Parts: sequence; structure tokens; C-alpha cells
Amino acid sequence: MRVNSNMVPNVLADLQQTQSTLNTALQEVASGKSVTVPSDNPSASAQMVQNSVETANVDQYTQNVSGVLSMVQTADSSLSSVVSSLTQAISLGTEGANGTSSATNQKEIATQVQGILNSVVSEANTSYQGTYLFGGTANTQIPYTASAASASGYAYNGNNAVNSVAIGDNLNVQVNLPGSQIFSNASNDVLGSLNSLVSALQSGSSSAIQTATNAVSSALSYVSQQRVVYGNSESQLNSQETYLQQETVSLTSQSNSLTGVDMTKAATDLAQAQTANSAALAAAAIVLPTTLLNYLSPPTG
Amino acid sequence: MIATEALGVTQGALTATSNNIANSNTPGYTREIPQFAENQQNQVGNEVNGGGVTLTGLQSIRDELLNVQIQNQTSLQSSANAESSSLQQIQTNFASTGNDIASALSKFSSNLTQLSASPSSSAVQQSVLTSGQNLAQAFNTTANGLTSAQTDADQQVTQTVSQINTLTTQIAQLNGQISQLTASGQPGGTIQDQRDELVQKLSGLTGVSVMQGSDGETITTANGTPLVMGNKSYSLQTTTGTDGFQHVLDFSGNDITSSIQGGQLGGAIQIRDQVIPGYLSQLNTLATQFSSAFNAAQAKGFDSNGNAGQNFFTVPASGAAAGMSVAISNPALIAISSDGTAGSNGNVANLAAALTTALPSGQTVTQGYANLVDQVGTDASNASTNSTAIGQNLLQLTNQQSSVSGVNIDEETTNLIRFQTAYEAAARVVSTIQQLNSTTINMIS
Repeated sequence: MRVNSNMVPNVLADLQQTQSTLNTALQEVASGKSVTVPSDNPSASAQMVQNSVETANVDQYTQNVSGVLSMVQTADSSLSSVVSSLTQAISLGTEGANGTSSATNQKEIATQVQGILNSVVSEANTSYQGTYLFGGTANTQIPYTASAASASGYAYNGNNAVNSVAIGDNLNVQVNLPGSQIFSNASNDVLGSLNSLVSALQSGSSSAIQTATNAVSSALSYVSQQRVVYGNSESQLNSQETYLQQETVSLTSQSNSLTGVDMTKAATDLAQAQTANSAALAAAAIVLPTTLLNYLSPPTG
Repeated sequence: MIATEALGVTQGALTATSNNIANSNTPGYTREIPQFAENQQNQVGNEVNGGGVTLTGLQSIRDELLNVQIQNQTSLQSSANAESSSLQQIQTNFASTGNDIASALSKFSSNLTQLSASPSSSAVQQSVLTSGQNLAQAFNTTANGLTSAQTDADQQVTQTVSQINTLTTQIAQLNGQISQLTASGQPGGTIQDQRDELVQKLSGLTGVSVMQGSDGETITTANGTPLVMGNKSYSLQTTTGTDGFQHVLDFSGNDITSSIQGGQLGGAIQIRDQVIPGYLSQLNTLATQFSSAFNAAQAKGFDSNGNAGQNFFTVPASGAAAGMSVAISNPALIAISSDGTAGSNGNVANLAAALTTALPSGQTVTQGYANLVDQVGTDASNASTNSTAIGQNLLQLTNQQSSVSGVNIDEETTNLIRFQTAYEAAARVVSTIQQLNSTTINMIS
């Protein structure tokens, strides 16, 4: 059989193939990525679309959690100081209701309770990064302002709505309680009961002082109950933070396994491709120049 | 004189060998073998003399069946190459570059999540607006990338048709010359080589079917449109169709665009009329459905001024992805609030849900885009695998053709030595006869 003596096309095809393998191996090692265009691995590229969206969301959820957590903690600590203020008001009220207190004493106590009322109002007007924490969703205006028209002496400018912040896919956490629910609730009115206590102390009636003190006491237990909302949010945020950390780790590892390069394997591949390419070049150098002419002596004269 | 004849014949054989060596790298050249034949012997009485040798001609060694197979594979390969290189270009639009739709979706989604925690921060509102604009731009860029690849393919159609016409004219001319030669009893030889080479080039441009007729080759496209018949060529024409692209017409003006297969032309038409329109239509559906879902979510809430949310995205009825844009320029118009107060974030959940809820297509916007990436990647990978496989096949066939028709330098060198020896021997015969003659003449004097 006659044999094809033109090895150029074969040699070129071999060289191109080994060169292309070498390029791929080199690119993988250099970039640390096994997928640069979709055709490198279509299904991994498609999964990476999902992965990148989820990763961006989880990063943002994590930031939301830490932002919301400090906001909730600020609100909770405000309520905590309201609780201690109320406790102090109750003991002052009890002292004022005691028969041994003189009218002068009662006036002094009234001034102290007025001071407590002012500090509670200031806590109710707490803001966090420009947002009033107890104004419902109408949180850009100061929630409580002094008003002679109101029985408690203070008007509520907020609304009754609450905000929930996204901290996970389909997971929201409640981040505020409207002031109308905590401080000026119709049945347990914190500001109203303190205001009544001040009036009762100024009037000097022991029974009125006692009634007002009891009202403050029931408001106190109500505020303590409401704090549970923030406590729940805090624990939800803490556990979500742990979950999101795990999620970040698992998304990163998914991304690595989809498009990352196993360096050991990539380096081995590179070495192999290099060997194959050198071998093809060496073979070409041996095969291409050989013809019968190499072995014939040149014609003489 | 037998010896003088032998000198001439051997010289002819040496010329053929020299021509083979000279053309060893000429594409399409088939080696030629000198054909020797012995002459009629002379019988005078009881004396029988050999009649010597004649060079009857040079035979080109070719395998027509292999040529046909090579033409077919060449068509397939050019078509696969055209598709593959176009898809390589297309898929860069879908690679993760930071400006692609996936990156823009990630940013938009994470900014909406951030808006949930900071609904009244104007910086965050602005970043949602900006990432929305970037998302619309990513859709624009991807659609434009597809359209530009489509325009490239369209230009290729016009260029390829004009190349086809040039080739068919040349082939018809050669056909005429060959039939003249065969009519006068001569072999086609090198002219046939040239024609075969042109037909192979033609098959790289479009799929052809070749038939041998009494007046030379008849060449038609795969669906039977005549290109060359004997010494006549039929040129194809292009005209702008209703879709704005170049359509291919046969010599009598019929539109044969959709029936063209194989070759660069077939590949370009496949990419332009099937592959890219498929991607574009998916991208447009995605842009339209996502925009209307997001606009519906906007309509459920109130903007920072307390007004009902207006459309966030605008998409044109046709070319949705290419024309997608953000309708609002003021971040205060994002419908963040669910109750009309500035501090409420109640509607952000609805806005975010537009990204995570299934669209009418049955998939979320992310899944829909991921599927498109998968499809483009698979197509590009298949086209490239296909092109490599056909290339291997073609290499095998070309090697086979080379082994039949190619010039082997070793063989020619051997022939050179063989014919040189024969020439020397014939010359020796001449000089021997001359010596004999002079001996005889000297005897007389």
C-alpha cells in the first residue's frame, strides 16, 4: 500500500492539539479558575449565576442583621432605662402616699417624678441614625411633643405600623414597636400615669397618689412584657447571624467546587501538557526533514 | 532507431518526475505517472526486432470517491467552524465579567435587601436606582452583543455569496477547457486538478452536490439549485428581506435562504436565522416578564412622597431586552412604603419578591437567565466539539487522498535515479552503435 508521505498536516494537527491543551492548563493554573466562559462548563456556569445572586444576598442579609441588631439593642436599652425610671417613680409614689410625708415633701417628690416623666419622654423620642425608634413607620418626625390638649400632656405624632427587615430569603424580623403601643396605650398609659402621679402628688391626696402609683405599677409590668418583642427579635437575629455565616461558607465552597481549580491536579495537568507538547515538537523535528535525499551523495560533476 | 526513441521517452519520464517534485507542495496537485508502452515488433523474414518504446502520456492519479467525501466533510467543517466561532463570540456576553446580567442581578437584589434595613436612607435609595439602571444596561449590552453577532453573520452571507459566484464562474471556464481537451482525446490533467481544487473551495463556502456529465461537471447546491452546468455558471444573488437581513436568491430569483445547508454560508445563515433569534427571544421574554413583575410590585406601594408607585422599568414591545430602561430618575419615586409614610419599608418585600418569585415563564428571573447561560454554553461547547471531530475526520480523508494522489519525494527520487540509469543505458547503446558503425566504416577504408 502506498503511504502518505506528507506528514505536515498530521504534525500540525498534533502540535495544535498539544498547544491548546497546554494553553488551557496554563490558564487554569494562572487564573485559578476552571470556568472562564460558559462553554467551559455550561451547567457550572448556570449554577454560578444562582450562586452569585445568593452570595450577594447573604452578604447583605449579614449586614442587615448587624445593622438591625444594634438598632434593636438601642431600643431595648431605652426600654430598660424606662423600666428603671418607672420603678423609681413607684417607690417615690409609695413614699408620697405614706401619711408621714408633709405637703412640702410631696411637692418635692412631684418635682422628682416630673423629672422622671421628662426622661421617659426623652427615651420615647430616642433616635437611631436619624430614625425615631418609637414612632411607628412615621419615624422621621419626633414621636412625642408636649401638648396641653392631651390628657397625658404629650401628643403622639407617629402611627401604629411596624417595619420588618429582610434577614433571609422569606425571613423578616420585626424591628420596632410603635410608641402608641408602649408609651401611650389606652389601658396602660406610661406617660399618662406618670402625669397623673405628678398631679396627685401636687394635690397631696394620699388616696389619689396611691391610685396613680398603682397605675404606674401596672404600666411598668406592661412595658416589661413589651420588651419581650425586642428580646425575641434579638435572639432571632443572633441565630440568623450564625446561619448566615454557615451559608456564606457553603456558598463559597460551592463556588470553589464549580469554577475553582484543584491546584494539585491543575499543576499535574500543566506538567503533562508540557511533556506532551515537547514530545510532539521533538517528533516533528525528527520526522519532517527526512527524505531519501538525506542519504544520497550529491551528483558529481 | 530504438535507442534514440528510448532517450526521448526517458527524458519525458524525467520531465514528469521533475514536474511532480516541483509541484509537491501545490494544493490540489495530483501526481502524474508517465505511461510507457512497447511498440509493435518488426518481423522481416525470420528476424524479429523489438519495436522500442513510446511514452503514451501522463496519467494523473486521483480517487474521485475520496474527492466527493472530502468535499462533503469540508462543507460540514466550514459550517461547524462558522457556528463555533460565532458562538465563541456570543458566549462572552454571558461570561461572568462583572458587567453581565448575573452580576447586575446580584447587585440589584442585594441593594433591595439593604433598602429593607435602611428604607429612608437616600444613599441606599440611590444605590437601588443605580443598580436598577445597571441591570437594564446589562440587558441592553447582552442584547446588543447578540444583535451585533447577527449583523456579522449577515455580512458574511453577502461576502460568501460573492465568493461563490467568483468560484462558479472559474469552474465553468475550466469545465469548458476540459471538455475541449477530452473531445480531442487528451486527458484533463492539470486543468482537472485546478477544477477539483476550486470545487473543494466552493464546498467550503456552501454544501454542493457534484455530478459528472457528458459536458463536464454539474454542480448544484444541496437542495438542487444549479450553480454550474458544463461551461455555464449560474450566479446567486442577495437581496434585503423583510426581516432586514440579506436573503439568497437563485439565478431565477427564488428565495433559497432557508434551504441552504453546509459551508460558511450555511453556518452563517444557521447562526443568523436560528441560533441568535432563539437567544434573543428568551432574553426579551425575560426582560418583559421581569419588568412587568417589578412594576406590579411598585404599584402595590407608595413612594417617598406618599404617591402610589409608578413604573420602575420601561420595556418596548419589540426588542424588549435591547430597549429596557429605568423609567424614573428620582430615587424618591421607588415605592418603598406600604402605607404611604416615609419610614415604612413594607413594600420592599414585594419589590424583592419580584426577583425571587416565578415569572409567568415558570422560573424566577435568576433561573431564567441561568438557563440561558446553560444553553449558550452547551451550544458553544457542542459546536466546538463538533468542529474538532469533523476536523479529525477531514484530516483522515486528506491523508488518504494524499496517500493516493500526493507526491512522495522518496518515490520521485527513486524514479529519478531509475530514469537516469535508463537514460545513461540508452545513451550507451547509442554510443556503442556509433562505435560499431565506425569500426565497420574503418574496415571499408
